[in-house]
Amino acid sequence: MGAEQEAGVIGTKGEFMRPLLRNVSAAIALLGSALWAAPPAEAQAQGQAWDIAKAAAPFKGTQLNVIFLDRPGYRAIIKLLPEFEKQTGIKVNYEIVPYENTREKEVLNFNSQGDLSIALVDLVWIGEFAENGWIVPINKLSGDPAITDPNLNLKGFFPLLLDAFGSWGGTTYGLPFDNYSGLLFYNKCMLKDAGFDKPPATWDELARTYAPKLTDPAKKQYGYALQSLRGETQSADSFMRMLWPAGGSLLDKSFRSNLGGKDSQAGLQFRQNLMKYMPPGVVSWDHAEAVNALAQKQVAMITEWSAFYSTLTDPKTSKLGDCLGVAPEPAGTAGRLPALGGFSLAVASQAPEKEQKAAWIFIQWATSEAIAKPYVQAGGVSGRMAVYDDPAVKTAYQFVDPMVASWQKGVPEFRPRFPAWPAVSEIVAEFGSKMMLGEVTTEQGAKEIGTRMEAILQKEGYYDGKKKLIQ
Amino acid sequence: MPRVGRLLHGAGLLAVFAVTIFPFYWMVSSSFKTQTDLLASPPVWLFTPTLANYAEVFADQKVVGAIVNSLIVAVFSTGLAVVLGTPAAFALARYEFRGKSDLWFWFISNRFISPIVLALPIYLVAQNIGLLDTHLVLILVYITFILPIVVWICTDQFRSIPRDLEEAARLEGASQFDIFWRIYLPLGVPGIAVSAIFGFIFSWNELLYALVLTRRAVQTAPVVATSFMSGYELPWGKIMATGTVIVLPVTIFALLVSRHMVRGLTMGATK
Amino acid sequence: MSTARPRPFYTGYGRLTPLWFLAPAVLVLLVIGIYPTLFAVVTSLRRYNLTRSRDGFPFVGFANYQQVLGDPTFWETLGRTAKFFLCVMPFEVALGLGVALLLHQPGFRGLRALARVSLVVPLATTYAVVGLLGRLIFNRDFGIANSLIGLFGVPSFDWLGNSAGAFAAICVMDVWQWTPFCALIFLSGLSMVPVEIEEAARLETASKTALLRHVQLPYLLPGLTAMLILRSADVLKLFDVVFTMTRGGPGAATELISVYIQRVGFRVFDLGTASAQALLLLVITIILARVYIRFFYREIE
Repeated sequence: MGAEQEAGVIGTKGEFMRPLLRNVSAAIALLGSALWAAPPAEAQAQGQAWDIAKAAAPFKGTQLNVIFLDRPGYRAIIKLLPEFEKQTGIKVNYEIVPYENTREKEVLNFNSQGDLSIALVDLVWIGEFAENGWIVPINKLSGDPAITDPNLNLKGFFPLLLDAFGSWGGTTYGLPFDNYSGLLFYNKCMLKDAGFDKPPATWDELARTYAPKLTDPAKKQYGYALQSLRGETQSADSFMRMLWPAGGSLLDKSFRSNLGGKDSQAGLQFRQNLMKYMPPGVVSWDHAEAVNALAQKQVAMITEWSAFYSTLTDPKTSKLGDCLGVAPEPAGTAGRLPALGGFSLAVASQAPEKEQKAAWIFIQWATSEAIAKPYVQAGGVSGRMAVYDDPAVKTAYQFVDPMVASWQKGVPEFRPRFPAWPAVSEIVAEFGSKMMLGEVTTEQGAKEIGTRMEAILQKEGYYDGKKKLIQ
Repeated sequence: MPRVGRLLHGAGLLAVFAVTIFPFYWMVSSSFKTQTDLLASPPVWLFTPTLANYAEVFADQKVVGAIVNSLIVAVFSTGLAVVLGTPAAFALARYEFRGKSDLWFWFISNRFISPIVLALPIYLVAQNIGLLDTHLVLILVYITFILPIVVWICTDQFRSIPRDLEEAARLEGASQFDIFWRIYLPLGVPGIAVSAIFGFIFSWNELLYALVLTRRAVQTAPVVATSFMSGYELPWGKIMATGTVIVLPVTIFALLVSRHMVRGLTMGATK
Repeated sequence: MSTARPRPFYTGYGRLTPLWFLAPAVLVLLVIGIYPTLFAVVTSLRRYNLTRSRDGFPFVGFANYQQVLGDPTFWETLGRTAKFFLCVMPFEVALGLGVALLLHQPGFRGLRALARVSLVVPLATTYAVVGLLGRLIFNRDFGIANSLIGLFGVPSFDWLGNSAGAFAAICVMDVWQWTPFCALIFLSGLSMVPVEIEEAARLETASKTALLRHVQLPYLLPGLTAMLILRSADVLKLFDVVFTMTRGGPGAATELISVYIQRVGFRVFDLGTASAQALLLLVITIILARVYIRFFYREIE
């Protein structure tokens, strides 16, 4: 376990110790990052407001380079950016790149000692970026009180998010920045007309009671839609979403394929059966199409990322109006295991020391508790717990409660976060969509994925003890 | 009979026009729709147009800048490729020398290799000599793709120019360069125009290299158009508006050179 | 260029004259092109994974080639690409020729000019946007394709949601985008037919087919060769449209070879294997090009 130092920074900040935090899994997740003896200066600084201008003074005029996406969380921070630049004199140059090209750009940049000073890390890239040494563990920087926010308070993040988005092998590298949880969005009015006054609590209920009543192909009405376009959408949003709640998983303890197992097969078979109640052609649907089907009242329920809330409430893009309902994803036989996704920001190792420090200041600012509320109000979704206790935030955003509920428990390895994931994801996507099309059975598909995935993992050295089995 | 033929001719031309333009029309009309109209099922033909998408596109400074960048890159890469390619095509069309057909083939084959594998070495070189995110690097790379087309089309074009014109000029004492400059270039204009259009369009639309080799300063139009595709939301209206804005300059360019694409010019000169 | 100076008493040409005309283009191509190509060749002989750069890039001989040749997905995607080419090319050539003849025929000056300029539009539409446009047009619910076939009484069809439909949809978009390319090349070929010959032939025969076969065809063949070669090379590289439209799916229905190479090269970042794949494709393209030239390319003299 790497030397960790946050304990001192976070210390005994009772006011942030929400009951949720006492959650056992959270404590375990954070244990790894709680062993650092804090320098006394930091302990004293606690509770004081951070003089960010003073901290940034030595870095005035530093230019930071980062890649952003064209999504609400980034638009929100861009809105707030001028304030940061004014206060600190640090300039943040962001380049907006389509998601599909983000990793490619970053990998090329890191391989050629390019100019990126901050890495935008998708949850599934953390293993790859960390193992290649492209990103700096935060304890390298957070030990320096001159550049560290006394209110950094790592415990104020949802433990699941900090663990899943920001940490690898027990070391924390990034701070959760753009955060998503899978949620059940539904059309209250349609459910009501069909005689339901609340959303389904379990997948079983959704498939047995709700979906049949809400589906009428003759009227082009469908109970449920699952975006399943080949690509990360298929492997993450569709395949994994059905695998975990049924008790299945991609890998077993020894990293062999677990897809042939009873529970995994049950999950995949469940997805096949559920397709009766889905619009034909969901295999070609990406998020946009699924969200739109709900917004246009063609579908009664979808499971989508929390960030689509704004699309679904906007009268320009949605006909739902007051009919929109938001709930946590249904639970499966193995409990509620909603899809988990999001991005953290980490300092890039290739940056010169001065730039690294300035980058650290920026990352802390962008994910700080102080900025959480304006960030949420500007359209972002903060990973800080405190902000969601704010009554103003709670009442304004219907998705907050179910989202907070979803983040209480989850599997960080919902999609394995090891470096082999991009290769594995491609295979899952190919055969996952072939299963849905009926081109292969779930057993055959599981077998195909298993053989190919194990060949990749073999090459990676997971089976001959060369590499630790972490995902 | 001729009247029927004429009618068919007209109808055919109209059909060509309609089919070619329809998806474009659909893009343009979509760019004036609100998201609700865009996603209406069945699709709507009549709707109240909105300029909101364009407002959004132009509020984004990037788009205008990107068009300018694309213009610079496309004009220079096409121009240079024509300057370099036409003399080569002239040599290939008019001279006899050893290895001629192999050389010709080598020119053409520069277009064959998949850009995916060349992107990395080019990126590394560009990074080393500080050319990343400059117009120059894109211009240089695109030249290698446009040159083959120019050489190819112009070689064919030059070959079809009657030799007796050249003989006459030579008797009057013209140098080889004069022959190239005064006879072949003007008579080869249709071919040059066609190859220039293809070259221009190629560099205008190229995405892979542009994505890899540029950052903020020199984003080209396709890069910006695709930056709205977050893999997550699809602002159809905005994308279609950007698409429309991107197609316009090429269409204007095509209009400018299109008169050269007619045979009239060759006809007049031959007489 | 030294030949730029007028040489009044010079009649023939010296041995070096071609060189002066060729040198600039050759030099530029060599300088820009040679390093990346050599790099790709060397890379194909190494284990070269950018996301494992800490393990170094050792030479592995022909292991990458062996792996590619034994990789069923490579052959499947290659076969699918061939099928795609065979589906679109006949349409593009036939329609292109038809359009070119229509545009070449005298009469309707304004309409002809309009149609000719409109040909540039599909070519000029950014490929990635064409793919998105395809998704909009072929959408099952709000797509215009279904409304249009509905006019002819054909029931709504879920184009992108099943294998055959998605494949057909990318074919349609490709034919739309590239028929104009063929038409323009044919048109410039037609414009090279010397006017006297064409007019004499028109007087001799009323048959359009005879005119086409005996007078115009020789001028069209070089263009046809160019088309076949360039389109083969382009289809083997076709990426943006397919990726934005279907991402290679559903299943593997539209996974063409370039989509696969992109996946190996820029998703898995196994550039050693991707380079080997691309170089094998290069060899295939060169062979194809040689075959086309052999069969179609004759000098007009």
